[in-house]
Amino acid sequence: MVDGGGGVLGTLYRYELRMLLRDTRTIAIAVVAPLLLFPVLILLAREAERRREAVIERATYRYALTGTEEDFAYYRVQEALAIEAFDPDTAARPPATFLHDRSPNPDSLVRAGAIQVVVEGLAADEYLRVRARELAERPGEDSAALAELAELPEVPVLRLHYRTDSDVSRAAFERLQERLEQVRRQQRDSVYRAYGLAIDLSELGGLEARNVATAERETGALLGVLLTPLLLFLMLSGGSIVAVDAISGEKERGTLETLLTTAARRSEIVAAKQLAVVTVGIVVTVVNLANLFVYIVLDLIELPQELAVSIGPLSLLVLLALYLPLTVLVSSGLLLISGWAKSYKEYQLYFLPLFAVVFLPSLAVLLPGMELSSAIALVPVAGVAVAVREVMLGEIDWPFLALAALSTGGAAWGAARLTERALSTERLISGTELDQADLAGGPALFPRRVLRWFGLLWVVLLVSSAWAGESLGLVHQVLFNVVGLFFGGSLLMVRAYRLEPRAAFALRPAPAAAWPAVLIGAPAALVTGVGLAEAFQRFVPVPEEVLRSFGQFLGAGELPLWQIVLILAVIPGIFEELAFRGVLMHGLAPRLRPVPLALAVGAIFGIFHVSLWRIVPTAYLGVVLAAVVLLTGSIYPAMLWHALNNLIAIVPVELGWVSEDYDLPMWSYPVASAGLALSFTLLWWTRRAAGKMQYVGTGPGGGRP
Amino acid sequence: MITVQVEGLAKTFFDEARGAIHAVDGVSFECRAGAIFGLLGANGAGKTTTLRMLATILRPTAGRARVMGHDVVAEPEVVRRSLGFYSASTALYPRLTARETLEFFARVNRYPRERVGARVDELVERFGIDRFESVRVEKLSSGMKQKVSIARTVVHDPPVLVFDEPTVGLDVINALEMQEVIRALRAEGKTIIFSTHVMSEAEKLCDTIVIIHGGRLLASGSLEEHRRATGKHYLEDIFVQYVREGG
Repeated sequence: MVDGGGGVLGTLYRYELRMLLRDTRTIAIAVVAPLLLFPVLILLAREAERRREAVIERATYRYALTGTEEDFAYYRVQEALAIEAFDPDTAARPPATFLHDRSPNPDSLVRAGAIQVVVEGLAADEYLRVRARELAERPGEDSAALAELAELPEVPVLRLHYRTDSDVSRAAFERLQERLEQVRRQQRDSVYRAYGLAIDLSELGGLEARNVATAERETGALLGVLLTPLLLFLMLSGGSIVAVDAISGEKERGTLETLLTTAARRSEIVAAKQLAVVTVGIVVTVVNLANLFVYIVLDLIELPQELAVSIGPLSLLVLLALYLPLTVLVSSGLLLISGWAKSYKEYQLYFLPLFAVVFLPSLAVLLPGMELSSAIALVPVAGVAVAVREVMLGEIDWPFLALAALSTGGAAWGAARLTERALSTERLISGTELDQADLAGGPALFPRRVLRWFGLLWVVLLVSSAWAGESLGLVHQVLFNVVGLFFGGSLLMVRAYRLEPRAAFALRPAPAAAWPAVLIGAPAALVTGVGLAEAFQRFVPVPEEVLRSFGQFLGAGELPLWQIVLILAVIPGIFEELAFRGVLMHGLAPRLRPVPLALAVGAIFGIFHVSLWRIVPTAYLGVVLAAVVLLTGSIYPAMLWHALNNLIAIVPVELGWVSEDYDLPMWSYPVASAGLALSFTLLWWTRRAAGKMQYVGTGPGGGRP
Repeated sequence: MITVQVEGLAKTFFDEARGAIHAVDGVSFECRAGAIFGLLGANGAGKTTTLRMLATILRPTAGRARVMGHDVVAEPEVVRRSLGFYSASTALYPRLTARETLEFFARVNRYPRERVGARVDELVERFGIDRFESVRVEKLSSGMKQKVSIARTVVHDPPVLVFDEPTVGLDVINALEMQEVIRALRAEGKTIIFSTHVMSEAEKLCDTIVIIHGGRLLASGSLEEHRRATGKHYLEDIFVQYVREGG
């Protein structure tokens, strides 16, 4: 055997690309075909649109009159058509010609397409009868519509009949309706004049609109919105050309086993394939953008009149820094589904959901009022999309840009790790990777499933907050989230995995020394948590409106104090503890050592508080409470600690002892830190006195103490 | 010199329909340099699973295995560098030429870069690949592909070679050619681990024959030792006797 050699990653990458370039059919279909087809499609679409517009513009519309007030309709329509024929507005578009068609049954002719619009003139009583009959046929619209009808003045009514499924009929209707409205306004003005109320709008004051945005900002706003979704679309479709072949293709051909028996490391194989996906994704993106540029030059695609792009070198670097993690995320995601899929066909099944998961968040940039300085920065892809728009507008908010890049980078790193693990899984070779726990289910499987369950709870929490949110009111929201979702979800987990409730919820007696430790620790942890949150806000300032809305939310309207204490202190103290320091910690304990376990439980608890500015203090509280359960082995001290924490945070404000914007004195922080240290010394002492780790089931090794 | 050590190796698969399947159940053996070690067993006996654990693409449920002194679980990359793995399911990249295939596998197996060219030339000549070295694999006949596959397996000059049912699907001429190659590699001092369910192949090639059935090792020894132990002459009869006794 000969040792040494190097550049395995480079070799894998080069050969990956070489093999792709030799796949002429794929290249032809994925790259060349769009280059040739797009211009043809665009030309055809433009020609079709041009013809459609020409037909509509030049059309001679046919109309008919009907109804009990046909004469009324006739005169109104004549006036409208006179305006159409002589109005100076028609300089920009040719006036339409309307031909009167006399027919005994005009509606059937509209349906047949022989005429475009029917004007039905009805006397007031006749109109009421017709409408009442129509409403009776559609029971959903009854009472309110009938009430409106009763209030109508007794004047004739014109009803225009047309077809929305016919461009020509719709155009005729729109033109005629516009002119009839003008006729109505003219008549109103003449009535005013008759009563000596003639007045021109300009006499009431001037009104002028002035756009103060520079052409660069306008362009930035336009491109900033389009850029990320467009690039993602191109990267996903382009990268997919390689990704589908990279693992699932190799599996299908039988070359994957050959590759996996070589000395190449899994990480090298994944990295090389990832580079290949990124390379091809970028090439396809560049080719398509160049293609787009050619269409613009050839006037196949029209751009806004004043398009001015101004991106400085710094902004360009920031854009690259934002797109780098996005590119890695796309390639990792594509490779991941390629790893999961057993064949090309299965890959195609997974592609659409992946496309939705990666592409849809980028559309967050289209939401009105969406700003980067919000929790959106923490959402992978969406944060980058919003950040890119702000960079294109010349607004650089470093802390949030970093958060956006980090959140997407974190997701990319996670996806890359998952891909590497996918290549190490035996499912690739043996077709199955179940183990004893998968078959047995129950408690053995729960540690592997607990994060999925809490992920699901988090999604339900987000969706329900977005849907119902504050409209539920404080009481219902807390009851739904804390009791229904967290505790209900926990009970479901206990039942589904046949967990022993006392162990899962840590319902064990606490050592006596834990109680004084809680009484000292709870206020101390609250104060240190406030200090931590204030330190965090120096980097990420809380917007005024967030503070105001949170204050209003906590203000809880006119609830009596006992209800506020029950809803905001007692219920969270009991049920959040059962869910997070109970079931969640029980599930994670076999896989994590005590310190990572407390940090993980705290972080997940923080994430469940959704708002970016609440994550830090709540995650801190979560870590502290997890440590309390770990050291005492019991959920009860953590329940009391949690309830006291919330109580002290709310009651002094509710009773008016301190104001909402009260600042703690500086001396309180070292005092609180000392109190917290004392509290944990007591807890540590209880642990030492017991002579072992109190919390059963901690640490990798399958639930052993 | 002992090059491969396997102690109590086991692999259990869990299938939703069939429950726990003990594909390999506590197998132990040793292989020496310059010898052909044959794993003889019916389909589903656990031969491929054992060899895949040696090649580090499956993780043992229990037991341990060492290749050239390296543990298959703790040092998988080093193990794979010491190993060439050939089986009917290890295919070649269709869009690479025969020469590119050898160069690619030499490089990814960390063969010294400056010696890759000479090594590939040597193998191209040795296996008669020179006639089609610039032809893409997808255009080669099955006999030609077999030659490229063998050359790919040995291109990084590993001391241990695993041949998992290498003659499956080959015609008589190609099967005999494969046997010749395996003998030649033994003569070079390689450790050959060879799995088959064809008795005549095992009789002709193997220095040590291990009989494996239902994931368990039933007997191990040379053909003569097996004859003495069972009183049977033909390997087929020997195999059946072990299986009956073992079952």
